[in-house]
Amino acid sequence: MELDMVRYLSKLAKLDFTDEELEQAVGDMTSIIGIMDTIKDIDITYDPYKDNHNVYLEDLRKDEPMPSLPTDKLLQNAVNQDGCFVVPKVVE
Amino acid sequence: MVELTITELRKKLDSKEISAAELTQAYLDRIDAVDGKLESYITVTPEKALAAAEKAQKSIDEGNATPLCGIPMAIKDNICTEGVLTTASSRMLENFIPPYNATVMEKLDNAGAVTLGKVSMDEFAMGGSTQTSYFKKTKNPFDLSRVPGGSSGGSAAAVGADLCAAALGSDTGGSIRQPAAFCGVTGLKPTYGRVSRYGLIAFASSLDQIGPVARSAEDCALILNTIAGYDFHDGTVSKLPVPDFTEKIGMDMKGIKIGVVSDFFAEGVDDEVRQSVLSAIDSYKAMGAEIIECSMPSLKYAIAAYYLISSAEASSNLARYDGIKYGHRADVAGSYSDLIVASRSEGFGDEVKRRILLGNYALSSGYYDAYYGKAMGLKQKIREEYAHIFEKCDLIITPTAPTVAYGTNENIDDPKKMYQADFCTVTVNIASLPAISTPCGYNKDGMPIGMSVVGKMWDESLVIGAADAFEKNFARQGAKL
Repeated sequence: MELDMVRYLSKLAKLDFTDEELEQAVGDMTSIIGIMDTIKDIDITYDPYKDNHNVYLEDLRKDEPMPSLPTDKLLQNAVNQDGCFVVPKVVE
Repeated sequence: MVELTITELRKKLDSKEISAAELTQAYLDRIDAVDGKLESYITVTPEKALAAAEKAQKSIDEGNATPLCGIPMAIKDNICTEGVLTTASSRMLENFIPPYNATVMEKLDNAGAVTLGKVSMDEFAMGGSTQTSYFKKTKNPFDLSRVPGGSSGGSAAAVGADLCAAALGSDTGGSIRQPAAFCGVTGLKPTYGRVSRYGLIAFASSLDQIGPVARSAEDCALILNTIAGYDFHDGTVSKLPVPDFTEKIGMDMKGIKIGVVSDFFAEGVDDEVRQSVLSAIDSYKAMGAEIIECSMPSLKYAIAAYYLISSAEASSNLARYDGIKYGHRADVAGSYSDLIVASRSEGFGDEVKRRILLGNYALSSGYYDAYYGKAMGLKQKIREEYAHIFEKCDLIITPTAPTVAYGTNENIDDPKKMYQADFCTVTVNIASLPAISTPCGYNKDGMPIGMSVVGKMWDESLVIGAADAFEKNFARQGAKL
């Protein structure tokens, strides 16, 4: 795997790597993709209609409002909160 | 008494030979004495445990004890426990206190089980050694220089070292069964959809399943009886009736057809492991079971299929960690995007980052069909191959892992070697099947060897019954810790 591809994937993943970490990641990902490439030997396609046997779309619960957690509980794990989740300014 | 099974402890509790508080205190004392070396618990909750024991005692005294009432248990640290730190062994969740209980915790609490604390695991359940934990890199109770397996290594080590009567783990690609094998205990991965995943910190949602780690197949059945069943909060839980999973305890193996898939015994499996599992199969034959040779041609592609599917799902599931709503928040000045990137980069460990990168690769434009699409096609093929085997067999027996527990610093820096070690277990998750690992021997160094009994979907009772039949004729050795 090329360095540019790892840079591209880390951007997609919202991860930042130092140059040293990037070099390590290129080596690791090259090795891992080597295992994944074994499936290139096989000619197979995915049929989505055969899947999801555990999900029965005809048997979903009704879409009705239910009680949910109170605001203070939902905010209890936010490091920065003031009655709402606080984020850096996004609009000038 | 800390080494007894749930069934044995039940008799002592119900006969008032011991109280629930005495039993809980015995485990807490042993944790104090031993866990400094083993490092299985991330959080111990003695006050909550003793309060739960007092409550359980009232039910016992009133003659209302359910099978798990007053039984001290450990909980894997990716299962949400209201008001109790739940980290998934990640710096990302170093301070996370869940505002709600996982459904399995509600069920255990209602049954009167006593939670002793939360046990270590590989970070976000990604690994097979518990050495990717940010907190406790748990050791093997049979040999502290070796790993306990993973990702539910804390659960298996705590049971193996008598630091709880039983534990809950989770299994995405073998994460209950492999540590159970490494630590010489019994671990059950139920059929996908048997147990609610609500409140389980997600890794790969189409594969994850919560299950028990215990000292016997019968104990696993008692725990599964308590945690199984439909849940309003999880649409993938089956509405099928939940049987009594102890119904086949003490069963006769005569006439049961056991498939032996030669591909699971091929190159890469240690000789001692192979011989031990084959010897266990001979024992079943002696009990009257019929042995049928089978094959699974797609097994050689299973590791790739599993890692592509699970990493693709993980990359999506872990996208929720932004440092804003909960989890590690980096102390950086800058934009919204800068905050998210810094929080994720600081919060996740190396193995989690590798899986996220792999998942993004498998799902990205230009690679999707070649990797994720093919992996999903293989998932269907593996399911078909299992279905074909189960047309002529009731059960399949395989090694649980190709080796016994290895040294704490082996494999950890070699992801390729680490991934390939999972080939005995991943197909069970891919095909949604139930499987149990139980000890079937010890190698020359005294390390436990596990075999897996795999069944048809929803047939946990037979899987448990068959494991129990073997256990009743097997001299299990305890860890000397």
